[in-house]
This record gives sequence, C-alpha cells and structure tokens, in this order.
Amino acid sequence: MTDALLQVDDLRVTFAVGGREVRAVDGITFTVSPGATLAIIGESGSGKTVSCRAIMGLLPTGTAIGGSARLRGTELLGLSDAELRRHRGSDLAMVFQDPARSLNPTMRVGLQITEAITTHRTASKREAQAQAIELLRLVRIPAAERRFHEYPHQLSGGMRQRVMIAMALACRPKLLIADEATTALDVTTQAQIMELLLELQEELDMALIMISHDLGLAASYADEVIVMYAGKIVEQAPAAGLFGAGGAVRMRYTRALLDAIPHLERPAHTLLPVVGGRPPDPTALPPGCSFAPRCQYAEDDCRAKVPALAEHVPGHRWACWHPCENGAAPHD
Amino acid sequence: MTDQAGPGRPPGEVLLSVRDLVQEFIVRERGGGKAGVVQAVSGVSFDVMAGETLGIVGETGSGKSTLARAILQAPRPKSGSVVFRGTELTNLRGGRLLQARRHLQFVFQDPFGSLDPKWKVRSIVDEPLLAYRAGGREARRKRVSELLDLVGLDPARYAGRHPRELSGGQAQRVAIARAVALEPSLIICDEAVSSLDVLIQAQVLNLFEKLRGELGLSYLFIAHDLALVKQVSDRVAVMYLGKLCEVGHGEAVYRRPLHPYTKALLDSIPSTEPGAGRATATIKGEPPSPINPPSGCRFRTRCPLATDLCAAEEPLPRELAPGHVVACHFPLMPGTSVITPAATSGVRQA
Amino acid sequence: MAAPLPDVTLLGALPPLPSLVNARRLRAQRLGRGLRLWVPAGILILMLAMCFVLPLVASLPSPTKGDIIVNNEPPFSPGHWLGTDMQGVDIFSKLVYGGQVAFEIGAAVTAIGVAIGGTLGIVAGYFGGWVDAVISRVLDILIAFPALVLALVIAQGLGGSEIHVIWALSVFGIPAVGRVTRGATLTIRGLPFMVAAKLSGTRGWRIIARHVVPNIIPTIVTFSLLGVGIVIILEGALDFLGYGIPPPTASWGNMISNGQQILSAQPEYVLIPSIALLVTVASLNMLGDALRERWSTQ
Repeated sequence: MTDALLQVDDLRVTFAVGGREVRAVDGITFTVSPGATLAIIGESGSGKTVSCRAIMGLLPTGTAIGGSARLRGTELLGLSDAELRRHRGSDLAMVFQDPARSLNPTMRVGLQITEAITTHRTASKREAQAQAIELLRLVRIPAAERRFHEYPHQLSGGMRQRVMIAMALACRPKLLIADEATTALDVTTQAQIMELLLELQEELDMALIMISHDLGLAASYADEVIVMYAGKIVEQAPAAGLFGAGGAVRMRYTRALLDAIPHLERPAHTLLPVVGGRPPDPTALPPGCSFAPRCQYAEDDCRAKVPALAEHVPGHRWACWHPCENGAAPHD
Repeated sequence: MTDQAGPGRPPGEVLLSVRDLVQEFIVRERGGGKAGVVQAVSGVSFDVMAGETLGIVGETGSGKSTLARAILQAPRPKSGSVVFRGTELTNLRGGRLLQARRHLQFVFQDPFGSLDPKWKVRSIVDEPLLAYRAGGREARRKRVSELLDLVGLDPARYAGRHPRELSGGQAQRVAIARAVALEPSLIICDEAVSSLDVLIQAQVLNLFEKLRGELGLSYLFIAHDLALVKQVSDRVAVMYLGKLCEVGHGEAVYRRPLHPYTKALLDSIPSTEPGAGRATATIKGEPPSPINPPSGCRFRTRCPLATDLCAAEEPLPRELAPGHVVACHFPLMPGTSVITPAATSGVRQA
Repeated sequence: MAAPLPDVTLLGALPPLPSLVNARRLRAQRLGRGLRLWVPAGILILMLAMCFVLPLVASLPSPTKGDIIVNNEPPFSPGHWLGTDMQGVDIFSKLVYGGQVAFEIGAAVTAIGVAIGGTLGIVAGYFGGWVDAVISRVLDILIAFPALVLALVIAQGLGGSEIHVIWALSVFGIPAVGRVTRGATLTIRGLPFMVAAKLSGTRGWRIIARHVVPNIIPTIVTFSLLGVGIVIILEGALDFLGYGIPPPTASWGNMISNGQQILSAQPEYVLIPSIALLVTVASLNMLGDALRERWSTQ
C-alpha cells in the first residue's frame, strides 16, 4: 500500500442544509494503485460523486471536509486554490457526465483545449495548438485539424465527450476521475468511449476512477469495485468474480442492487427481486447499518450497531453483520 | 389492413396496428429559413396484440419517442395509419379522437416534467376521470384513492402533496396511476423508468408487471436499454434512424440476432454476468444525421457487412424464422462469423 | 485508519453541486430574502394607506383650493406639515390626492393590460399558427406606437382627463403584457405535463384555465408590479408635459411641473413629489424582483 497513487483515509464531507447536518460522505478509506481502474458505484445520493469532488477540491465553500486524501504522499485536502490548480490537470483530472454543458458553446473546441494546455504550463500559441491537435488525435477524433476549428454544437455527444477527455488529458494526469462520463451516451457510443479510456490508460500509465450507477459497466471495465450506500463504503472487492451467478458478493445491499438489474439472461415478465423503501434521509441516518431498514435479512444487531468495513477475505472488504453466503444467494 | 402486416404476429386480437407511419419535422435556421427535414420516423409498421407487451429499443435519434407521440396523435403523424381497437386515429378530430384515445394511455420519461407542478397528486390522478366524466365527485374521489393504493402510494399521505414533495419513483407512480385511471387496454411507456435509480426502477418495473396481470394491460414499452426492454416484453423491435430493423420474440432477438445492428447493440451492453465477457464496441462511429439519412439501408454507413447493394437498395422486412423479421440484405444466420475481429483488437482484457 | 485531520474548508467551486451552504449563512440568506420582500411591500402598504385611507379618517385640507394668505409656507408650518404652495394649497394634501391619481392610473392601465394583453398573449402562445401570427403583428403595431405622442393627440382632441390618460397608456400596457404572457405561455406549452393533460382528455380552454394560467401567474404578477411603476412614471411625464391630468387636479407630475418654475427658491416643491415617485416605483420594482426570486426557487 506504500506505493499507492491515491490514498484516501477516513474522508468525511458534511453540508448544512436548512440548519440540519447532511453527512454526504461518512468516513471512507480506499487506495488507488498507479495504473489501476477503480469503479465506485452507488445510487444517487450515495456520496460517490461528492467524495471524488472533495478529492478534486470542487466542493462549494462552506462544506466541512475531514480526513485525508494523499496523492503520492501530498495531502490534497486543505490546499489553497492556487496549489490545487497546480495538481489539477497535471496530477488529477476529471471528466463529467454532461459533455454538452461542460464545453463552452461559444468557443471553438480547439481553442478550449489550447486554453486547457496553457493554463497548466507555458507554451507558445503554436506549440499549444499543435499539442491540442495531437490530443484530438490521441482521443481518436478523425480529421482532427478540421474538428479543431469546430464549435461544440457541431459535434455529436460522443465526440464532445472525446473532446472533454482530450482536455482532461492535456497535462498527462496520473489519475483520471470519470464521473458518470458515459451515462448520457448511447450504449454503442459508451462502449467506444470506455474502450478509448482503457486504451489511453494503458498508453499514458494512468489510474482511472470511474464513478457510475451501472454495475454492468463496473463489472465489465474495472479492476476493483467499491460500492457506496448512504455515504459509506459497504463493499469493496476485485471486479473479477464479484458479480454474476456464483459471484463473491457478500454485502446484502450489493446483492439487492445486482438482483434488481434487468439483464438479458432473465426470462421476460419475471418479477425482479426488489427491496422496498428508499435510501435513508442523510440528515437522520439510522443508528445501525444504513441499509437495515430496507434489508429483509436485518436482525436486531443490524439496527443497533453500524457494521465496520473489514477485510474478511484478502482483497475483499464488506460491512455487513449477516453477509450473503458465497454465491449462495438466489439468482434466477 | 395491408398484407405486409405484422412482423411475426402471434395469434390473437390485434389491439394496435401501425402501418407505414411517417413523421417529419422541419428544422429551421436562425433566420427562419428551412434548413432541412428531420426524417424522424420513416415508414414503421407493427402490431400490438391484446395482452402483449411489445418493446421498442433504439438509441438517441432513432425516432422512438417521436413514434410514441405519433401513435398518440400528439402531434399527428405526417402519413401512415394508426388503428387502435379497430378505429383509425389519424383522421379523427376533437371529441371523437378523445373518445378513441380513452383506452390508449402513456407514461413518459421525466416523472416530474409530466406532472403539473401547481397541482396536487389527487387532482393529477383525477384529471382523466374528470375529463371523461367518469362518475360524480364522490365516486371519483374513491377511485383516486383506489388508484393510489394500486400503485403503492398511501392515499392519506400522498393525495395532498405537490409533485415537488415526491421522489422520482413516487412521481412516476403518480403518472402510472393517472395512466391506468380510465382502465386503458394499452399503455405507451416512453423511457418510463430510465431516470430512476436501479432499486426504484426495479420497483416500478414490477409495478408494471403487476398491473399487466391485474388489469390485463398491453404495453408498448420504448427504451434505449435492451436488457430492460427484454425483461418486460414478449416481442422486441429494434429501431435505427427512423426504421425498424428487426422484430421478433425477445428471447430470439437476444439469442440469435439477425440484424448486424442488433448484434452490435448486444455486444455493447456491459453485463455483470461473468460469462458475458467484456462489452465491446463492435461498430464504429455514431448514427448519421436523420436530416440526410443514408440511402438504401440506413445502417450501412456503420455496418461491417455493407456492400454496394446496401447503398443502392433498401432492404425489405423478411420473416426468416417464425415470427422473426429482419430488414437486412445480409442477415446474420446462425453460425455465420459475425463481425470483423479487428474491431476488438487493442482492447486490454480485464 | 489514520486519525482524522482537523476539518478544513476548501475554496473554489467549478460545476456547482446543489446549493449546499452552512447553517449560519443559510439563516442570513433567509433573513435577507425576507427583508427584500417585506421592506418594499411594507413601504407600498404605507403609501397606499396614506393615499386612500388617510383622507377617509382624517380631514385633510383641500388639495385644489388654498388660502392665498398662507402661501409659500415652508415645511413643518403649523397645520401644513409639508408647507403650502404659491396658491396656499396644502402640499401634503396634494401629495395624497396626487398619489391616488398615480396608483389609480397605474392599477387601471395594468389591469387593462393584463385583461386584454394577457388574454391575447395566452391565446397566441397556446394556439400558435396563424392565430399567433395575427395577434403578434397587432401587438407589434401597438408597441411601435409612441404612447406619449398618442396621449398628446388624445389630450389635444378629447381634452385631458384621467380616463383619457388611462386609454393612452393602455396602448403601451396591452402589448407589453401581451408579449410577456405569450412568451411565458410558449414556454409552458412545450412542457411534458401539457402534453400529458391533452392526452388525459382535458380540452383546450380547460387546459388554459387549469394548467397554463396557474403556471404563468407568477410571471404576470411580477411583470405587472414593474408595469405599475413604469405607468406611474409615464403618467408623471404626461402631466409634466401638460398633456395628462389637467390642473388644478393634484398629481405628482403636475406638482413637479409647477415646482420647477421656482426650483432654486423652493426646491422642496419638486423634491417632495419626486421622492414620493421614486420611493413608490423603486418599491414596486423591488417587490417584483423579490417575488420572482421567491417563486423561481420554489
């Protein structure tokens, strides 16, 4: 763990909304190794996006952030804006969900990429432009020289996301965070963008954190998966062998999530095994396991004490008092 | 009804019959000049049987939402025929259209957008009852409570709320209660669960299944997610750039896709199943603009099997297996090598 | 697990998350929002009470006839706390009755604007097509009409009176409200719940009454408040030019116009009605803004 690229320890993020405290991220710990792909999955409000924005220093002023996030030993939390800007781009970069709104509609895409280059390092205009075209080629945009002079509205959604990736890669970051980067795209385009990301990751020896609500995406592309619920990590394991029939999923919430996805192997018109209710109100979390109120296997201890996230099997952590038996969970 | 009818039509009563449906929009330039015509739906034909769920899968720009609206006559399609329960909808107006559409309801994607923010849940569910004069005030009030119960919302807690006081899943339940209020025979669901979180989505999907059983409903279930569509549908139609390219039983379309596009779509879906393997981008590029769609087969610009024939001649729907119709000159027959392996090279294996 | 570091606050926010702020700031914001609404509302209530209630409960001196013996009294004189003018007319009375005229005309013109312009705007926005084209052209012609010149013509031809001023200014009010209403209706018309209402079987006029109107009322109310302010200023300008309310009827515009002749000797003749005009119009604008802010965050 000493050679970790990113080491996050007990990260906490708290907002105050209407005078009540919202614990958006409630003490999460994880590491990312150089060149690895980590998927953080969870539903809306699980804290997956907020935790990554905290690491990037992208949360609004007035947000209380605790814990530690070290990038190759350098503490990121509490850095000044200027110091953060030095890290963003060159060490850390982020790609967002909505490529249409992340690009400035009144600026040619080439200029936007050139700007991303020159804000991080001094380069002559000509150099920066040449690099921008190089970046467009890197993200496999055909006719890069022509695209350089086009406006965002002239590009398709997939092309815009490629431009966003090109901008994120302008300074060859060591860690790229993709926040639902393919959610707005069609499935065929999504596959293209994911393949591109993995290829670039290999080429540039870059680590990738993909934030997603899509378990299939995580299973298909990540090395390791973190599942978040109500601000906490509830399970973390290598992606291979975690999912599917006979998978190693232990935490009841992960199991429920997995069972609730319609997938092609399931016969039509069968009812999906679902859990009722909704995620807990983040201003009034239950005293025990956050998932206990919705969990059909919950017992008194689940409602009384929070289960700790412990490494029960090498490489596999989960937080559950009554975990699923290995692969024994019903799965039609 | 014409004889080029229902691709793979199972026996039973035809509930909805769509023939050669065409819908176009004029795109205007800034100044108001005509910039082009979006051929959103270009000659789509299919049938929905009583009690059946037909799923329509398509990506952004495939015209699937336009198709839904055109069937509902909102707005009216440019040409073609929509026969619902024996009545042609496309030439009806005013009150007669309203009466004909009474048993044809809808659930749209955006649960909040389709509920008037100024109205309470009670009035929203009551709206169709009031519009079709389904009973007096007291009877309707009782019916609204029943409907909320049916979709799993406690009337005492939710009837008095405004949409902004609901979660996404609850808002979609209200929209479903409104859709089933008049005991329709067909509900058109346009991406009805796409904006919901996985667990809530599963709850709403199960609600659709429950209502299907209890009320004998048929659905036209439109979505971009093939796995989702297959889950709820008896038959699945795949739509690409305004045309249907393949129709068949869900299981058959999934196990033995005949159209290269269907195959590519299936390959792109990331799955949690260990046997499924890594999702791969087997087709390159993105769909062309529906303003100037390619000649011949509309998929040919991205199809690895395309030849000159595909550009010259539009493939007509052919029934290659019982109930399995494909519009392709070179359908993928079982055992055929499908797609160039080069497409997947260079991808790191997990 | 490492010991948690002391809590820190990070600066800088690029793509904003849903507005999340700390409690103290939230309370301060809420207070500020309350003040922005209730201060202008309170001032307007006071102004209205002064103009319409005070004359009923207190016996004010006549706003038109004065005692020439007590002319040009300075403010805070006994019996005339804002003083008297050259004819010895009580200035406070003139302010009160002039205020009545201002509010009446402002309200009447806006009411006519909302009734006629609002209806036209909804019809044009909802039905679209040739209906929209015809109505929009009519509104365009009206809005292109110089209201002040029209008022001048009306005053010349028919003689100045409150009613004539109202008609003249309505030529400006109707298309202004009409345009805004049409825009708001167009926005609403495209929303999915309108399609849903139509598909639920609700018919045209009922959709307008139950879906369109409730959803555009906030827009119309905020715009009307701004409109009342603009109309009061226009009315003042007409009076000032001598084509509005004919003297000796008290009006703020007349007061400013008359006072102007002795501006250097007695600036309060101009200052007092000007301040009343300024406070009224500013309060109307601020109230409109505060309401819009409140409704848009709901």
